[in-house]
Amino acid sequence: MCPNGKHLLKVEGLVKKFGGFRALNGVNIDVREGQIVGLAGPNGSGKTTLINVISGVYRPDGGSVEFDGRSVYKLPSHKIVRMGINRTFQVPKPLAGLTVWENVKLGAVYGSREGNRRETVRQALEIVQLHNMKDSVSADLTFAQQKLLGLATALATKPKMLLVDEIAAGLSHQELLWIAEMLLRIQKTGVAMIVVEHHLGFIDTLTSDVVVMNAGANLFRGSIQEAAQNDEVVEVFLGR
Amino acid sequence: MLRRYFPSLGVILAIVAILLCLPHFYSNQSFLFNMMLYLALAEGLNIIYGFTGYLPFGYVGFFGAGAYGAAIAITLLHISPFFGVIIGGIAAVLIGIILIPLLRLSGAYFAIANLAASQALYFVVANPSLEKITQGPYGIDLSSVYNADASYYTMLGVLVFAMLLVAYMRNSNFGLSLLAIKEDQVTASLAGVNVVKARSIAWMLSAFVAGLSGAAFGWYTAVFYPSTVFSLDVSVFTIVFVLFGGIGTVAGPLVGTLILYSMYNFIGISTPQYFQLFYGLLIIVLVLFLPDGVASILQKGKVYVP
Repeated sequence: MCPNGKHLLKVEGLVKKFGGFRALNGVNIDVREGQIVGLAGPNGSGKTTLINVISGVYRPDGGSVEFDGRSVYKLPSHKIVRMGINRTFQVPKPLAGLTVWENVKLGAVYGSREGNRRETVRQALEIVQLHNMKDSVSADLTFAQQKLLGLATALATKPKMLLVDEIAAGLSHQELLWIAEMLLRIQKTGVAMIVVEHHLGFIDTLTSDVVVMNAGANLFRGSIQEAAQNDEVVEVFLGR
Repeated sequence: MLRRYFPSLGVILAIVAILLCLPHFYSNQSFLFNMMLYLALAEGLNIIYGFTGYLPFGYVGFFGAGAYGAAIAITLLHISPFFGVIIGGIAAVLIGIILIPLLRLSGAYFAIANLAASQALYFVVANPSLEKITQGPYGIDLSSVYNADASYYTMLGVLVFAMLLVAYMRNSNFGLSLLAIKEDQVTASLAGVNVVKARSIAWMLSAFVAGLSGAAFGWYTAVFYPSTVFSLDVSVFTIVFVLFGGIGTVAGPLVGTLILYSMYNFIGISTPQYFQLFYGLLIIVLVLFLPDGVASILQKGKVYVP
């Protein structure tokens, strides 16, 4: 964790409506340079919607999103990516007809626009350990491998901030440990993260700074241990 | 880096050599011209359909816009036919720019809206009250500038241009970004691809090729009517040729057009009733058993198709 770094992402009063339903109802969150923030909450609390709005997949209806001192509010995804924010998907969305190499190459060519692209692709694939599958068509990868491919494509855009959406879902304990280790290695290169996760133990291995959301709003911020002592948090998770 | 272009360039050189030599041995220049025309249209359609997945049923609208754009430039502005062909291409691009909002639609909605747009353009051009500009439904006469050989080689130039464009897309990062858009626009955008810009460029390049082809066709035939250059047969033939050959490659649309257009000329003109039957059956077989075209047979066998 890097609590003393300068503010990288600052989200204030973010609102996202779907018809009459407010999926995000004034969410605030800030992340400093190189910091990992865990984002937890029950199903439907707005975690993935928040990731979708910050990354430009959904257009917000109110509030503000500032990244590295500049507003990214309502910017299209490709501009947000080029400014340094990228994300992974809970259900992976690889470019199924393209090879692993081509998927990641796109990120290196269009997302980062700097450095040796071939080297960037190679490094990204080595981090997620997919380099030996670089010529495979991504539709042929397993679910877990497709998640890693999404992460490699995001890394190839050389992000300053990664929004990691439930990367641990459906993985074995061994795989979880390996992914947690990998995310910590990525953090050490200076990449900040918001890690959305149901698996609180997984978040605990990454960070002691957790934001809990409920009904599209902030409920709590602190450590996992503090969250476990918080009556409101316990109630939304256990329905007491 | 240039080495990856060699297979595509090899195909293009072979086609050019054949089309330069054939007129010396085969006297039916009209057949060769129309063959080149459909080869170019097939490659033009391949740019937008093969690489982005948008299937424009109204592709003929660009063809007609090119024919009329060139004809108006030649008759009213007294521009040389060669430059008239380029203006025809630009006229089609202008129509393409107007129709860019259609790219927000997808699938059948896009195809139908595009078809409607091409028919709207047809009715505008054929409107008798525009007789002073378009000659309305009475057709345009370019016989004063008729030159069969010059228009033949201009058409060959248009075909080469179209094939080079597809070769570029087949082997470049831009082509890869278009294929990404075809697969999933959100994922492409999150890789940093400017989806709106890339697909608009592909759309305009596709329109440009159709416009150039329409303009060269107008010059070659010398006299044509709105019903000729806005005929839906042009769209349907081109789409079937591309689907039969296979999309996303230089060679696929060429193979589809060479086989089917030859067949059309040898069977279709003498016994059109059998040809219609044959075409109908072919489309059914294609959709059911070979949705990715003839080229996909080779690609499934891990053979590289240029």
